[in-house]
Amino acid sequence: MDISTKKDGNSLVISVSGRVDTVTAPELEKRITENIDGISELVLDLKDMTYTSSSGLRVILRAQKLMNKQGSIKVTNVRDEVMEIFDVTGFSDILNIE
Amino acid sequence: MEKTIELKGRIDSSNAAERETEIQNQLNGFDGEVIFDASELEYISSAGLRVILRVKKQFPSTRIINCNSEVYEIFDMTGFTEMMNISKAYRKISIDGCEVIGEGANGIVYRTDPDTIVKVYKNHDALEEIHNERELARKAFVMGIPTAIPYDVVQVGEYYGSVFELLNAKSFAKLIRAGESVEDLARQSVEILKTIHSTELKPGELPSKKQESMKWVNYTKDYLPAEIGEKLLKMFEETPDTNTMLHGDYHIKNIMQQNGENLLIDMDTLSMGHPIYEFAAIYAAYIGYSCADPDNAAKFFDIPGEKCIDMWKYTVKYYFEGKDEQYVDNIIRKAAIICYTRLLRWYATKKSKEDKEAQAVIAFCKNYLTENVPKTDNLYF
Repeated sequence: MDISTKKDGNSLVISVSGRVDTVTAPELEKRITENIDGISELVLDLKDMTYTSSSGLRVILRAQKLMNKQGSIKVTNVRDEVMEIFDVTGFSDILNIE
Repeated sequence: MEKTIELKGRIDSSNAAERETEIQNQLNGFDGEVIFDASELEYISSAGLRVILRVKKQFPSTRIINCNSEVYEIFDMTGFTEMMNISKAYRKISIDGCEVIGEGANGIVYRTDPDTIVKVYKNHDALEEIHNERELARKAFVMGIPTAIPYDVVQVGEYYGSVFELLNAKSFAKLIRAGESVEDLARQSVEILKTIHSTELKPGELPSKKQESMKWVNYTKDYLPAEIGEKLLKMFEETPDTNTMLHGDYHIKNIMQQNGENLLIDMDTLSMGHPIYEFAAIYAAYIGYSCADPDNAAKFFDIPGEKCIDMWKYTVKYYFEGKDEQYVDNIIRKAAIICYTRLLRWYATKKSKEDKEAQAVIAFCKNYLTENVPKTDNLYF
């Protein structure tokens, strides 16, 4: 898994690539919490994310809870195989996916 | 009454009128539920959709089953899936050569690829059970309860299976066996328990534990002296029917650890109600089931009996941290009363109710309730 972050004023784009699983999810969580202070617009760009386990989904869920208090969150460029995971878990109903 | 009509091949403007006549002939004079079986449907155009729409107008409970992905997408994009009940065909998978990783009373668990397992049910008509368990797991999952992803329902030969995310995890029971601290694991288990109990649901979203518990007490009360039975029934009735999420079977075999993250399995007992019911079930697992045979819990968890007792003690200690001893003792008594009310019914309705163990449990429960119900004012906290 690789993560890159791009901050622009109050908005933050976090791009995730590769597999997010139980080993790598804590790193994603860390990068989100490190950068989220004062952010009102968070974008998770999942263009190159090929797989997420439940651990990764929980990180996204917690990020969404945090952002609900301080602004908005959206998930972009979701690949088909990951979209399938969002669909089957019911995440596609609760996330703002573009 | 139901009538199944098969939809086959392509239905478009070239043959929609003809299909419609055939369908209407079959439905002539029919009154009931129409089911379109789309197993062999390859494509449907707007002309075909209008045929379905007209049938749906005549028969409002019309539904469509077994759609392949492409056909389902057509129904989805045109808004049909929101208007009527349309379901996809189950994906078919083969388990040839897959590693067996577990076998339970109702199914066998196979590893299908590095990330997933499939639980294949032995029972041919397990579909309802599978959907029920999946729906509960899914609800818990989107509410942030740490559990494995319930993927799809699949067909495995003539059986059905439920696909889950593979966890490379060890149960808390296994960790205790390996020498990890019971107190520390109890503290961690309380953290998840509090997450579950901080989840508020909408009325009716999960089965009500109070409703279930009324069945226990209505049976058990007749085994007790009239006065005790009446008071017990009244206390059950007065317990608030809250919308708090409960796990229902919370113990060290159902709590797993994977790379330091704790997860829950077995979500089929998920329900809602006052947390006292959760403690009644936890008490049952560590203490109550051993009331007649002190080795029961030790055998079930495969750890020394005193560690089962410690697990219970530390669970209440950390859950009610900061409360005085009397407060905690009261809660333990309430949990035990609910536990033994349930246990008495369970053993008394078993086929083996005449055997020695059942008799001993029934006698124990009767004694416990007769002695402790008078000391208790209510069953909640």
